[in-house]
Amino acid sequence: MDILYLLIPLSVALVFFILAGLWWAIHRGQFEDIEAEGERILRND
Amino acid sequence: MSYRWNMTQVNVLPDMPDAPADFLAGQAALPMQGADRLTLLDDPQEWAAFSLPEQDSSGCWSSSVVFEGMHCAACAITLEDALRAVPGVASVQISSASHRARVVWSPEQTRPSEWMQSVERFGYKAIPANDAHAHERRRQEARRMVWRLSVAAMCMMQVMMYATPAYLSQPGEISAESMHLLRWASWVLSLPVVFFSCAPFFASAWRDLRERQVSMDLPVALGMVVTFVVSSLGTFEPNGPFGAEVYFDSLTMFVFFLLLGRWLELRLRDRTAGALEAVLNRLPDSVRKRQPNGTWALISIRRLAVGDVIEVLPGEAFAGDGRVLSGQTQVDEALLTGESLPLTRQAGDRVIAGSHNLSGTLEVQIEQVGASTRYAQIVALMENASVSKPAMALLVDRWAKPFLVAVLLASLGSAIYWWPTDPARALMVAVAVLIVTCPCALSLATPAAMLATAGALARSGVLVRRLEALQNLASIDTVIFDKTGTLTRDALQVVRTHTRSGVRPEQALAWASSLARHSLHPVSRALWSEARQQAEAVGELPALEALLAQKVSEQAGQGVCGLLCSNGGAAVSLRLGSAAFCQAPVFNGHHLQVSLADDSGWLATFELAEEVRSEAAGVVQALKEMGLTLKILSGDGQAAVTQVAQSVGIADAQGGCNPQDKLQALKVWQAQGHKVAMVGDGLNDGPVLAGADVSFALGQALPLAQSKADFVLMGGQLGVLVSTVLRSRHTLRVVKQNLVWAAFYNAACVPLALMGLLPAWAAGLGMALSSLLVVLNALRLAQGLSPVPALQSNTSQTSPT
Repeated sequence: MDILYLLIPLSVALVFFILAGLWWAIHRGQFEDIEAEGERILRND
Repeated sequence: MSYRWNMTQVNVLPDMPDAPADFLAGQAALPMQGADRLTLLDDPQEWAAFSLPEQDSSGCWSSSVVFEGMHCAACAITLEDALRAVPGVASVQISSASHRARVVWSPEQTRPSEWMQSVERFGYKAIPANDAHAHERRRQEARRMVWRLSVAAMCMMQVMMYATPAYLSQPGEISAESMHLLRWASWVLSLPVVFFSCAPFFASAWRDLRERQVSMDLPVALGMVVTFVVSSLGTFEPNGPFGAEVYFDSLTMFVFFLLLGRWLELRLRDRTAGALEAVLNRLPDSVRKRQPNGTWALISIRRLAVGDVIEVLPGEAFAGDGRVLSGQTQVDEALLTGESLPLTRQAGDRVIAGSHNLSGTLEVQIEQVGASTRYAQIVALMENASVSKPAMALLVDRWAKPFLVAVLLASLGSAIYWWPTDPARALMVAVAVLIVTCPCALSLATPAAMLATAGALARSGVLVRRLEALQNLASIDTVIFDKTGTLTRDALQVVRTHTRSGVRPEQALAWASSLARHSLHPVSRALWSEARQQAEAVGELPALEALLAQKVSEQAGQGVCGLLCSNGGAAVSLRLGSAAFCQAPVFNGHHLQVSLADDSGWLATFELAEEVRSEAAGVVQALKEMGLTLKILSGDGQAAVTQVAQSVGIADAQGGCNPQDKLQALKVWQAQGHKVAMVGDGLNDGPVLAGADVSFALGQALPLAQSKADFVLMGGQLGVLVSTVLRSRHTLRVVKQNLVWAAFYNAACVPLALMGLLPAWAAGLGMALSSLLVVLNALRLAQGLSPVPALQSNTSQTSPT
């Protein structure tokens, strides 16, 4: 089970990696106007 | 006074670093900058942007502010105490659900910067409401909240994975090294949760400790710290006294649910405030004004004055109430009147501030600016309502503090009791007690539901002046209608004129209109507009407008009297009103009659016909089906009243009442144990409206600030009355459900936790779910009003053209 010593720290690192992606998405405002993207197709321009 | 007119000049709020530290920084970090931005607000012109002078000649101002950093009822108490301690602050009203407050203060003794600083010393931030920045801050706050929630969610999921083997395996199945590795990994992932996601709880608990206050965040934060410390000891000393078990999974899950509850609460508040803010942000910053030389110049809306001519392009909002000089367009007044269809406006029509110009370019002559616009009155009304506290919420607030102290003592007691058996267990039992008893759900139960309803009603054109009234409305059993302007349309038509021999009808009408123009009574308005039309047709409008009466006084329910000075002649004393008031003969017929008399007696009688509102019969039918008793009390003659009553289907109609009679009748019904709602036009029946349990005012010409009614139907349509009553009943049901649920939850869980039967994770889950349930239950009320099926066909016909 030595492989756990690699995999578990790796999973911790993965969580931080995903969080970095989330940070980027949130701070670009992607979750603020959820309806807007769907409604874009209805606009003329 | 202006709403957000000076935002371009005052850049009041310094940028805040987007880091958790800003919660702790509050008081120390920005002393100079903070003081500077606040002293800017000490200029009367600046404070006028978020304050209104008080009505009662005391010289006080009433300011509305938004607080940042407050979470619960206990915070509201801290803030209220802090503000009241400032000399010169006369009264403070804070709403913990909307985080808004109204502060009444005297400019002779204090300045806005002074009382705002008193709040900042406690670590909160007061932001002048109506500030353009308030919206931006709210966005930032929401973004930080989502980020905190996401961190907690990701870490929680992964910590759960690491905790699963410990739950599933038999003792000895996992080697000590592997177990240590799993605990270590959980500890690493708990760090961001504890030090980042929990920061607001710690900051607010720390603030309370320093101020020797107790709020809901204190037990919660204490629970988090104890759990984290116990689990960390278990991770690094597996053989120590706390080594048997770690609780990272409970901790992260608890934080996640708590943040989820807070986030939903924030969204509820934003949705309700959204209705308000949508209104607040309707006015443009600048307008194009016509210069004397005929060119257009861009000026600040603050410099706009009555009489200016401005140009309004399609898509822009109107900056003030005014009259269209040229152009034709469609306007959207939905937010101000609830009228969802675009309305046509052309030269001569009136437009209102805050409504939107949809299709054409207009030139508008401004007639009202600032506080006297209808828009400003609506905004002021809504702000007052959102900080009024329903009685049930007050009761909860009063009990919150002693309850929290009792919780802290109980958890201390349980820790001491269990300590001899097992120190780790003793601490976790104490944590469970701390967490499970958080009265968040209880304190949210009433305001959340009522605010959600008020927001939904506002979107349909019903203004709620007091949240309390929603509670009263749900329990009424009798509805009393006034007739004129309520069951019938405002607009009356002069159909016949009888005059004393030798008096020309046009002459009589002109005299009557000189008195009528000073009164807002529907009859007076009908006479004045009829006279104007006639005069305009023959080109004598200036002559009519020059005919001014003096010393005009209005006797409620009877009529108007005044002195008319004709050219060169002696002043003539005129009376306009009921037949009795003018000692006039009564003519047969069921039309409304109004008489004119001078010193020598009767001059003329005008017969006016009124049109019953097309939706009135449907509304009456719907209200009857809801089990309400309906009555009419009117000042008009019995014949006219009976006729209207029959056409809408109300059996019990009483005419010829003056306001005292109406109040008397109302008192009698109330003494018989009835709960009475009064529906009137809000102008002539002030005392009756104030005497009723719940009152509705109708009519678009109503000066809102003087209205005493609890509800104002802004669209001037009766149809929403039915849905408002239905919604209020629904609201009361939801409040009761919420209170029962919250009380039941606390009663059931506290004994379990004290006995040590409730693990920390279950306590966290229970507490968070109880708050979630309360907020979600209240959110059901935030939906727009559904039209009443019986009325649909009618309301579509009655849309004004």
